[in-house]
Amino acid sequence: MGGESFHFVSARLGTSFLVWLVVGIALALPAGLWILQVNMNEMSAGWEGRPGLSVYFELQASTEDIEVAAQQLRKHEQVESVSVTSADQALDEFKTYSGLGDALTLLAENPLPASLTARFAQNIDTDVVDRLIAAVQDLPGVAEVVVEKTWLERLNDLSTAVSRLGVVLAVLFGIGAVLVTASSVRLAIESRLDELRVLKMVGATQGQVRRPFLYFGAIYGFGGGVIAAMLIAVTLVVIEPPLQSLLGSYQQELDLAGFNLGFLAFLLVLASLLGVAGALIAVRQRLNNLELF
Amino acid sequence: MGHIVLQHVTRRFDNGHEALSDVSVGFEEGSMTFLTGHSGAGKSTFLKLLLRADVPTRGKVLVNDVDIARLAEKRLPRYRQHLGVVFQDHHLLTQRTVFENVALPLRVGGMREREIGRRVRASLGQVDLLGKEGLFPRHLSTGEQQRVGIARAVVTRPKILLADEPTGNLDPQLSAHIMDLFARFNQVGTTVIIASHDIQLIEAMGFRMLQLEHGRVVGDHAATRSTAEWVGETEAPATADLGGQE
Ligand SMILES: Nc1ncnc2c1ncn2[C@@H]1O[C@H](COP(=O)(O)OP(=O)(O)O)[C@@H](O)[C@H]1O
Ligand SMILES: [Mg+2]
Repeated sequence: MGGESFHFVSARLGTSFLVWLVVGIALALPAGLWILQVNMNEMSAGWEGRPGLSVYFELQASTEDIEVAAQQLRKHEQVESVSVTSADQALDEFKTYSGLGDALTLLAENPLPASLTARFAQNIDTDVVDRLIAAVQDLPGVAEVVVEKTWLERLNDLSTAVSRLGVVLAVLFGIGAVLVTASSVRLAIESRLDELRVLKMVGATQGQVRRPFLYFGAIYGFGGGVIAAMLIAVTLVVIEPPLQSLLGSYQQELDLAGFNLGFLAFLLVLASLLGVAGALIAVRQRLNNLELF
Repeated sequence: MGHIVLQHVTRRFDNGHEALSDVSVGFEEGSMTFLTGHSGAGKSTFLKLLLRADVPTRGKVLVNDVDIARLAEKRLPRYRQHLGVVFQDHHLLTQRTVFENVALPLRVGGMREREIGRRVRASLGQVDLLGKEGLFPRHLSTGEQQRVGIARAVVTRPKILLADEPTGNLDPQLSAHIMDLFARFNQVGTTVIIASHDIQLIEAMGFRMLQLEHGRVVGDHAATRSTAEWVGETEAPATADLGGQE
């Protein structure tokens, strides 16, 4: 009787497609957020391995002050590299990137401070980081020490927020998907009540009467899952180039994770199960206690 | 299976109306009975109780000594597979061919495809519809549709055959032919109960007649002849092959 369900779906392809679309969109949002969150975790994991710090100097800081700070950091074995940006270099960079160019030559003084960035070894201790910060902060000419970890933490917070939003949306839209299939399956049942009564009259079991509609729900759910997968795939293709250039400026390789066979299988199975759940609701409402005549 | 007894059966609806009041009556296995009475007398309610589409408010409906009103929901399919049911508006599935309509009870019973084909053709032969397997119900005349309904009811070789106004829409000649078919099925041991308000037709046949009025049995006329005599008297149709009853 599975064939009948397929027949029923294909005979109403227009309506079925609408249901697939609605279920698909409902599933695409939380599933997309999940992928986003996976990638954010991956990024922060990638960066967490090589944190560093930036030191900003006061405007009046001398070259010696800068050199002392750089030496202080360099001599520590868990600091891999230190690169210094002098005030003049900073101004040049700013000219190039801001496009203001010659306009800045009108300034009497360079308003930009010198800075340096230090990269730590992969597995540096937080204690060591804390001591380094304390040591550098007290050096003459140092205005501010910024640890990159702070924005890492922001990314983590954001990732947590995204994941919670994903869970909330998954629950809400999951319920939506179930209700949409439930009402579609209910319509399918209504349109065949006479037939179902005849089936019961000639001795069909409850299972035989229900089964086509459970398949039916599974087909609706599965189709919705396929649509969701396509929506996510298209979205990824669209956002990949801008993400690539954004991350490129952080020397970070873009390698979108999460959209793989396991994810697809999970999405399709989950979607089918939601469809079956919807069908079960419809069947319970409409087919249990079906009066014969 | 085929022995039916109703003991003090009352069916009162929620609105207080009693469609059947304290009905006690029995049907021998292999008997043929007409249930008559005016419209609203309780004939359909009577048959619904036997089909277990409804349950009595009081009393027992015993089929082979089992009170079917107390049958668990999950045992109903098996019970119904032993029944054949014919309605006035035959309840054929319009989207399926004659063959598929008749095959339905066999498919539900999980029979193998080859056996289904054999049985469906035998059953269609009994109602003179061989060659129409591929047609849809809308292509058939009313009388033919009714006969498809009968073929579907008997294709499982049921022990009990219930018919509710099976000739309601048919002209007298077709009605006589349909009743003749029922007599033939009864001949091979099926317990047959037919509800009909067509008193003239029924009296002429001379089978047992149970008369209902306002939900009460007001008359139980014994048969004046057996179905064997009846079948012998009427002209046998060329396709009347009723063998193969288990
Ligand atoms: N579900 C119901 N609720 C209330 N009254 C009903 C119901 N079904 C049948 N009746 C009433 O019960 C009586 C017997 O009905 P029925 O058995 O259909 O009679 P018949 O088949 O002999 O014409 C009628 O008066 C009918 O209106
Ligand atoms: Mg009636």
